[in-house]
Amino acid sequence: MILARSACFWLEKLGSAASEWEDAAAFHDGDPAAGTTPRYAVVDGATEAYDAIRWVAHLVGSFVADTGPDLTPDALRAWFEQAQRLWVAGAPTRFATVIEEHKFHTEGSFATFLGCRLTGLGGPGARWEAAALGDTVLFHVRAGRLLTHFPPIGVDDFGLSPDGIGTRPEALGPMLRALELSSGEVHPGDVLYIATDALAQWLLLEAGRDEASLWAALAGLDHDAVFAAIVADQRAAGRMRNDDVTLLRVRLATTEPGALVVPL
Amino acid sequence: MYEQTFSRTNPGCIVFLLDRSDSMKQPWQSSGGTLAEGAARAVNKILLDLCVKSAKEVGGRARHYFDVGVFGYGACPVAGGEGVEPALGGQPIVPIPEVFDHPLRVEAEQSVDAVAGSKLPVWIEPVFGYRTPMCQAIATAGEHVYGWAASHPDSFPPIVINITDGMVTDSPYDGAGLAEWAARLTSIETHHGQALLFNIFLSPTLAPEALFPVTAAGLPEPGPELFAISSTLPASMVANARGARVEIADGARGFVFNAGLATLVWFLEIGTRVADVRDR
Repeated sequence: MILARSACFWLEKLGSAASEWEDAAAFHDGDPAAGTTPRYAVVDGATEAYDAIRWVAHLVGSFVADTGPDLTPDALRAWFEQAQRLWVAGAPTRFATVIEEHKFHTEGSFATFLGCRLTGLGGPGARWEAAALGDTVLFHVRAGRLLTHFPPIGVDDFGLSPDGIGTRPEALGPMLRALELSSGEVHPGDVLYIATDALAQWLLLEAGRDEASLWAALAGLDHDAVFAAIVADQRAAGRMRNDDVTLLRVRLATTEPGALVVPL
Repeated sequence: MYEQTFSRTNPGCIVFLLDRSDSMKQPWQSSGGTLAEGAARAVNKILLDLCVKSAKEVGGRARHYFDVGVFGYGACPVAGGEGVEPALGGQPIVPIPEVFDHPLRVEAEQSVDAVAGSKLPVWIEPVFGYRTPMCQAIATAGEHVYGWAASHPDSFPPIVINITDGMVTDSPYDGAGLAEWAARLTSIETHHGQALLFNIFLSPTLAPEALFPVTAAGLPEPGPELFAISSTLPASMVANARGARVEIADGARGFVFNAGLATLVWFLEIGTRVADVRDR
């Protein structure tokens, strides 16, 4: 039996308030006794999007819920449509300005998306399954080496993808056409990381430079302050773009981890 | 160079030079109305887009991502006579939250795909009269852009977009011709590059559009001169345009000839979009 144990680290852009962090992550490690499947989601709200915080919170929460979608085009289409309906239903009853109203109707909100679930953890066919729109990326690491990353985006391709989950019904067709699905077999000891764009780009660069040290450091991350220090150092050195960053780590183990005590 | 994004810490500066000479009363064959009306509509559309980019929270004001200016040249509706006049409430450079809060009026949206009953703000009125003091306009804008760049050294360099229908009438102005004034303007710089000057050459005649060309070949007068003073599009803008599936050749200039309204708005979107706003 493989057990999933997740942790999430995040940091807002340098210069922003913590309340302005517009990524979101949700994680549920499942319950073998109840038969619930581990589910994970990380999204990155577009900076120019309207009310991005409401949109990203809804997306991750509804994806990891027990009623979250299967990772098939049809199921995800239904989930996208439901999310768009709920977005409209939650519109302000009165807009403060005609510009705000115009933005709500013509642009709405938008976020990149990476949703993942783990199946078959009790048997020989344990797997991750994932769906992606945009440049939030899943990394599958085994024994200190990157097996694969999904979507298979190149280091120079971040920030150019127009793909994501939008609130406008007209976006549904392009979303379904751009939707990417993938899966991979997992073993005990594997680690999955899901990272938003600026961090994902940095991970790819660092993996190409010294991946053993990179994955060892991230596997051992145990405090928000350590994560924040790494990000701050890389930003200051110009190696990581100044953007909201989110890292969701899922460790796959066969035993419960020991208790962890850290100074606060 | 030209990689900096717009943010509250490092806002952008976008300045429009709007030809308000008498010839702007001519009909805009490709889009209806007069050239002056078309140019005003396009500038209003881009000001709206900048406000929309800056509107984030429910019920909130715009975030200060941009400083904008609009300088009319030719007729001066406030001061009277001919010259150069700031067209945004009389202020040369205005933070986008102020633009957001103070349109001239709000009117029913006219686009075919408008939401029923929707209304949109208007900041700029169409005006025409007198001659075309383009050099004076570039000189005047340059003074303000210089001050802005000096106080925003870590921002993306200022973007100046000139919308005109023809011949400059004040070259030389104060001892320098149009090319010299343009060179002075584009020598203004921040840490992220030199100021950009883009030109929109409107025409009352039906003729093929030239969008982001790499040569002046085939352009009627004064197209070659306007092309020559237009900046090469930075790689970041080229990448954005290509990301939006627009074909742009390497070395393309920020220049468009004989654009219809849709192309004009598209040009302005490319020319004012550095990258996604990275808020700080």
